[in-house]
Amino acid sequence: MTTSPTEQHATDPDERRDGTSATRYVAGKVGGALVSLVFVVALGFFLFRMIPGDPLVTMTRERPTDPEQLAHLRERLGLDRPVWQQFLDYVAGLLQGDFGTSYMYRRPVGDMIAERVWPTVLLVGTATVLAVLLGLWLGVRAAWRRGGTFDRTQTGIALALWSMPQFWLGLLLLIATQGVFPSRGMTSVDPPDGFAAQALDVAWHLTLPCLTLLLVIYAQYMLVMRSSLLEEMGADYLRTARAKGLRDDLVRRRHAVPNALLPTMTLIFLQFGMVVSGTVTVEAVFSWPGLGLLTYESLRGPDLPVLQGVFVILAGSVIVMNLLADLLYRVVDPRVRAS
Amino acid sequence: MSAPVWQRRRAAAVDVWRQFRANRGALFGTAFIALLVLFSLLAPLLIDQRGLEVVTATGGSLEPPSGEYWLGTDESGRSVMLLTLWGARVSLLVGFAATLLSVVVGTLVGVVSAHFGGWISAVLMRITDFFLVLPALVLAAVLMAVLPTSMWTVIMAIGVTSWPTTARLVRAQTLSVESRPYIERSKALGGGHAHVIGKHVLPSVLPLVFANTTLVVGGSIIAESTLAFLGMSGPEISWGSMLDRANQSGAVTAGAWWYLLPPGIAIVLVVLSFTLVGRGLETVLNPRLKGER
Amino acid sequence: MTPLLELQDLGVTYRTADGDLEAVRGVDLTLQPGETLGVAGESGSGKSTVAASVLRLLPKSATVTGTVLLDGQDVGAMRWGTLRAARWSEASVVFQGAMHALNPVRRVGKQIAEPIRLHTDAGESEIDARVRELLGQVDLPAAKARAYPHELSGGQKQRVMIAMALACDPRLVIADEPTTALDVIVQAQVLDLLGTLVEQRGIGLVFITHDLSVLASTCSRIAVMYQGRIVESGDAKEVITAPRHEHTAALAAAFPEVGDPGSRYAPATAEPLPEEGERDPQQPVLLSARDLRVHFRDRTGATVAAVNGVDLDVRRDEIVALVGQSGSGKTTLARTLLGLQRPTSGAVYYDGGPVPVSTSGLRDYRRRVQLVLQDPSSALNPRHTVYESVAEGPRIHRLGGDERDRVVRALEAAELRPAEQYLTRLPHELSGGQRQRVVIAGALALDPNVLVADEPVASLDASVRGEILGLLLRLRRQLGLAGLVITHDLGLAWNVADRVAVMYRGELVEVGAVEQVLLEPRHDYTGALLAALPSAGRDDARHEC
Repeated sequence: MTTSPTEQHATDPDERRDGTSATRYVAGKVGGALVSLVFVVALGFFLFRMIPGDPLVTMTRERPTDPEQLAHLRERLGLDRPVWQQFLDYVAGLLQGDFGTSYMYRRPVGDMIAERVWPTVLLVGTATVLAVLLGLWLGVRAAWRRGGTFDRTQTGIALALWSMPQFWLGLLLLIATQGVFPSRGMTSVDPPDGFAAQALDVAWHLTLPCLTLLLVIYAQYMLVMRSSLLEEMGADYLRTARAKGLRDDLVRRRHAVPNALLPTMTLIFLQFGMVVSGTVTVEAVFSWPGLGLLTYESLRGPDLPVLQGVFVILAGSVIVMNLLADLLYRVVDPRVRAS
Repeated sequence: MSAPVWQRRRAAAVDVWRQFRANRGALFGTAFIALLVLFSLLAPLLIDQRGLEVVTATGGSLEPPSGEYWLGTDESGRSVMLLTLWGARVSLLVGFAATLLSVVVGTLVGVVSAHFGGWISAVLMRITDFFLVLPALVLAAVLMAVLPTSMWTVIMAIGVTSWPTTARLVRAQTLSVESRPYIERSKALGGGHAHVIGKHVLPSVLPLVFANTTLVVGGSIIAESTLAFLGMSGPEISWGSMLDRANQSGAVTAGAWWYLLPPGIAIVLVVLSFTLVGRGLETVLNPRLKGER
Repeated sequence: MTPLLELQDLGVTYRTADGDLEAVRGVDLTLQPGETLGVAGESGSGKSTVAASVLRLLPKSATVTGTVLLDGQDVGAMRWGTLRAARWSEASVVFQGAMHALNPVRRVGKQIAEPIRLHTDAGESEIDARVRELLGQVDLPAAKARAYPHELSGGQKQRVMIAMALACDPRLVIADEPTTALDVIVQAQVLDLLGTLVEQRGIGLVFITHDLSVLASTCSRIAVMYQGRIVESGDAKEVITAPRHEHTAALAAAFPEVGDPGSRYAPATAEPLPEEGERDPQQPVLLSARDLRVHFRDRTGATVAAVNGVDLDVRRDEIVALVGQSGSGKTTLARTLLGLQRPTSGAVYYDGGPVPVSTSGLRDYRRRVQLVLQDPSSALNPRHTVYESVAEGPRIHRLGGDERDRVVRALEAAELRPAEQYLTRLPHELSGGQRQRVVIAGALALDPNVLVADEPVASLDASVRGEILGLLLRLRRQLGLAGLVITHDLGLAWNVADRVAVMYRGELVEVGAVEQVLLEPRHDYTGALLAALPSAGRDDARHEC
């Protein structure tokens, strides 16, 4: 039997162009992320320099400053030069790791950020991994027995958690467990000797902040997983799988979940900005010495150079995460490879 | 001719209400919100505002609940119950106003980018996606830090950072409507942009926007409280600013749960109500979700 | 001998929000090993429900009465374990719409291997060899095992479904509309393949379709379903050539044989057609395309010529059928003629002058040339009443006069009588045929001179098809309306058209009078299309048992 002309038409070009489309895809995504990064830097710069009026007034708000100091500051910050030049200077500085100088501590902002990165990575990493595992598992179970007791209670709990301000949940946990867990910091004032003991000490301090962050974000993951699995449940290929004689849990595990997981993954990465926002409040509540606490302190100051630096770093990291998600998605979802 | 059309519309509305009513959570949410809105409007008549001023407060600092102060007092001796009741006004106002801003911008961006396509769409979606992934709270806080502090700045900051989700939703819905053959038919009949958007796209997109709006209100109220907790709020009494003061005045270490619980529970109840109503409306109005629940 | 499949007094009732719906009532069927049984019926006749009940694949809302005996065993009484073991190894299904019936994120090889792994204890290398063998049997290269469903064409996916159905050597295969949505040529290939496999392996086949002519060439016996019951069953040839039930007759007439003089200018319509008046062969040309080209860029940036240098004339008082397979560019051509798509080069002329490009000029043009779409259920805004839908055009063009009067006249011209009864109805309260009439009325309300109809009957039930085609023919004869009907169905062209234009890969390969093109095709492609038509009278209907 010969293949009909239309069929050749439909398949041949696909096979040929697979290689080139991969590079195009990656280049497109990386280019898009770079544009976004430039946006972030520009936003960071202009927000702080342009609105409203004289940046010096904003910077020295609630701080008596005499004219001589003002003039000195103006020259030192390069504010007497045209705006575009200031922007270029700022970008050049960023590329060399120069984020300016803190107002309160008279220290380079870059150094302050550098020492706060790892605590945040530890907190966010632990909480996200646990939240993904918990959320996906509960979401799948709830959707598969939709309308059952498990679904109703779990959805109810998730909705209640979703309706809670995160910092308030943290404060409640603090009050409820008064004294059981440390209320602030990442290590004891007097850290124990030995690596294992120190790690335990950190884990001990990590418990409450991690739990708070986890509780709010798992709820979202669960609701997303639940609804995207529900959307797959009516799909025809599931009927095919049942007709083949597969057990119910195999139909779910092999066919329904892999399909539902893909949109869920996108949403999880899209919501990474929300996790970062949550980190700010959680770190503020538990005085966890990370970027979130630094944001909180610089907002309270206000310490605008620090705030500016933290903003660029946090927003930039979200963009990088999304880029990674896009690239990963292409590896995982065969359909994206084609379109 | 118009009489039967209106009859139909009314019948359709009755039908939506009938389905909506079957959802107990959504019904509870609607009732709670209605009561709270009514109360907030009447609050100035019902509440003695001298009890809200620090100078005229009568109680002691952080008194636990008693016969006189059912929910105890704050650090300046004001009744926590009174403050919580009064705080509903600002929290709701900020929630509604920020939502209005966000939904109007989002709907406009969504419809325009989906309908016109081409480079307009590309640029708008680029901007939407950019704002969608940014940590909204951090951006709002930064906006607050550089702008003069007031309730209106709070509304602006929340509105400006929360529109992208609406834009995404509206765009997706508009695209799905625009791909239906009846749009092609309408164009072939000679209908222009205004006709297609006004007669076909908006009527089918707006119900979903409405459902989405109730979800956004909940998010805005949480955002308001979180910004307040970070020290970014106007001088007005809101649930968020109460929690901020509770935290700053050491209510947590003092174990003053009566100061922390009422505003927080109020937030949870209101946001949960909006969420339940929004989900209820979505199930009724979104044909794709029909049969779920 | 125990029959392979025996249905005794089968009934299926669905519980719905609007009360119980009896989908299947008192159905009795038997199938012997090696036999091929066709089940024909329109949408909603219950034929797919019968298919699903054999393996108990019905949704939870369904209640089944009566018995299903699979190889003598009562399926209804089976325990879950036994039922699961029977699924696919005893009987397998080729599902409708292979696009959705395959898991989009698994390689098709894995999906074919899955039931083998489940029902046998074959080793990895054995399974691999088996998958390759199965792919070979359905004429696919073994390398396709590594493909994902979206990388395959419609016909290839359908073949994968067939390979999957044969994976465990079942004794019974149920094919539920296996060729719907496929092009004629591909459809012929798939039918051929199914027939050969049935013959070679002596398996029983239940073939479900809405298209009687397909059954004629594949099945030995046919059962016709209507409203949940079997209204007629018997020898395939007899049922088709001498139908006893009126519904069977309607189904059979819906797929006319090309070349049968009895169906020329005679679609199956209940209402008599008006007499053909004196026809002037030199009617003025209303709509024409000159060297029309439409190019698209695909995602790699390569240029694809969807329409590649087309010249076409449509005269007053004639119907031209534009015939081609999906992907041939015929819909793009129609959209370009209507000004919904800009041509890359070339021009469209209306009544001697070029079609304007300005917004207001185009609007005037669209009063004259109107569109009828394929799927009437989505061509009407579900929120608009019939009145609003029909009045939409006149309102856009601010036509004066009594709007209601105009709407009523248009509805009556589209044969919705009495029109008053329909004015306040919503689309979902109408049948498919009535909806298509509303769409046509919406076009007629503008008093157009040309109707462009894109697959006007493709998504309608067989018995409605003839009525809509009759309407088109009547409109031409009574109003002198010109029609351009886009279709993949050569029988339609034979039924109503005066001239045929055959489109292949963006070009018109053959244009001429219907009799000339369809009876003495000059281009190879036209020949291939004609050869692929399933036909009741064909001598080589070789898969009879």
